Amino acid sequence: MQLKPKNSPKSVNMRRGLMAASCALLGAAGARGQEARVAPADSGLFEDWSVDSALAYYHENGRIEAIEPVVNVAKTFADGQALALNVTFDALSGSSPNGALTSHSVQTFSSPSGKASHSYTTAPGQLPVDPNYSDARIAVGADWSVPITRVTEVSVGGKVSGEDDFYSATVSASIAHDFNEKNTTLTFGLNNEFDSLRPIGGAPVPGSDYALSAKTGSKTKDGVGVVIGLTQVMSRSWVTEFNLSVDRFKGYLNDPYKITSIIDIAGNTTGYEFESRPDQRTRKSAYWENRVAWNRQMSTALSLRYMSDNWGVRSDTAQLHFHWSLSDVRYIEPSIRWYRQTAADFYTPFILATEQPAIGYESSDSRLGPFHALTYELKYAQKLPGLGGRAESEISVRAEYYQQTFAERTATPIGLQGLDLYPGLKAILVQVGWRF
Amino acid sequence: MTFKQVSLILILGGTTLASGCGSLGVKPWERDTLARSDMRLDANPLDAAIDDHMYFSKEASSGGRSFAGGGCGCN
Repeated sequence: MQLKPKNSPKSVNMRRGLMAASCALLGAAGARGQEARVAPADSGLFEDWSVDSALAYYHENGRIEAIEPVVNVAKTFADGQALALNVTFDALSGSSPNGALTSHSVQTFSSPSGKASHSYTTAPGQLPVDPNYSDARIAVGADWSVPITRVTEVSVGGKVSGEDDFYSATVSASIAHDFNEKNTTLTFGLNNEFDSLRPIGGAPVPGSDYALSAKTGSKTKDGVGVVIGLTQVMSRSWVTEFNLSVDRFKGYLNDPYKITSIIDIAGNTTGYEFESRPDQRTRKSAYWENRVAWNRQMSTALSLRYMSDNWGVRSDTAQLHFHWSLSDVRYIEPSIRWYRQTAADFYTPFILATEQPAIGYESSDSRLGPFHALTYELKYAQKLPGLGGRAESEISVRAEYYQQTFAERTATPIGLQGLDLYPGLKAILVQVGWRF
Repeated sequence: MTFKQVSLILILGGTTLASGCGSLGVKPWERDTLARSDMRLDANPLDAAIDDHMYFSKEASSGGRSFAGGGCGCN
């Protein structure tokens, strides 16, 4: 039997790893997973920070593309406190579906600003998309973890983000307690999010006639979330995690740029109305992850999630992630994710003109429709000599293919047959990463 | 399967784990494999954050591993 020193790097790293896993409940990426190097007591303010960075490119077939650089920096101080900072930038452009139905006729829409010069048309048989979509977003977050006792740690965090028409601020706090020789960690976390929506041209009155363009000023929504987590070391090569979470959002929960087509019994589009969602949503989810090392080269992570909400959406998610070390300095990580969701109770791809007066809540947003999705992913990483006295650095490249397929077909009038009303979604994501 | 049923299964499983915690786990000197970076529950935080952002903007579900909010006007 070989005893390791009480504060050996591996022992400290493992504890920090479990703590960081608990901190994942905070939800800010900056709190998670930086390599937990403990800085020496005489470390200067700008010394011994670890840096994790990535640049991602996202492209949807014929629609949106985005570029997203992300940087996390983190430092674990000699007294056990840890600080993590995160900056994310998104630049999006391209064509975004406006929610209207594909038609045999030419359709004309005005841009959200309502200016005639910004109108656009959609050719027969094509999915209506706003071709002028453009947005930029920057988000900044910070998380601070403080050991209260040898087995209890408190973390607080905050995040603000801003884009052209949306501002958000989130605060969070969690407490993690270790017991059973630090093989078990219980975590309780809370967060509160405040959002301000300032849609271009104003926020539409839900359910109002698109042609009348009835809009008001800015809107708000806010949400509260609770997460309870249990992390358990099962054996020398197996760790498991359970999370139960509930969150409730209230306020203006509509997408201000989504409309729904109104059609007659023959399938001709007679008009549009802005979507109308309930002003309150409660989501509950259960999450279970198992991470198992099979040998020195390979490990797997299997995660399962079940989610339901009071809008009628039920979803199941399963993800299987492999880690395979090709050598001491190279590894690959293939992954596959399967996702399925049912439709929200008020989801409808179109409104029949005869039913419009009593329609109530409605949305044609495909993200609230019934579909399943598959993601295939492959990552390759290469370890390099460290910088500035660090043991090592790592560069990586990752590629993903994501495909959504609608699972159901609503009965459609004869006049719409032959049209692809549910085109689904295909997207790729390519990411390069560098951490040191 | 409803959320209550799923929660019940997880709570029962968690209770079983907690009650058996005395016999589960490892000694401090047995953490060599668990200390590997690929065995961290948050082994790839940036990958997860970028993926979560994509899924948040394209699906009705979010959260589970962490809080469900997004801080993004994309959904």
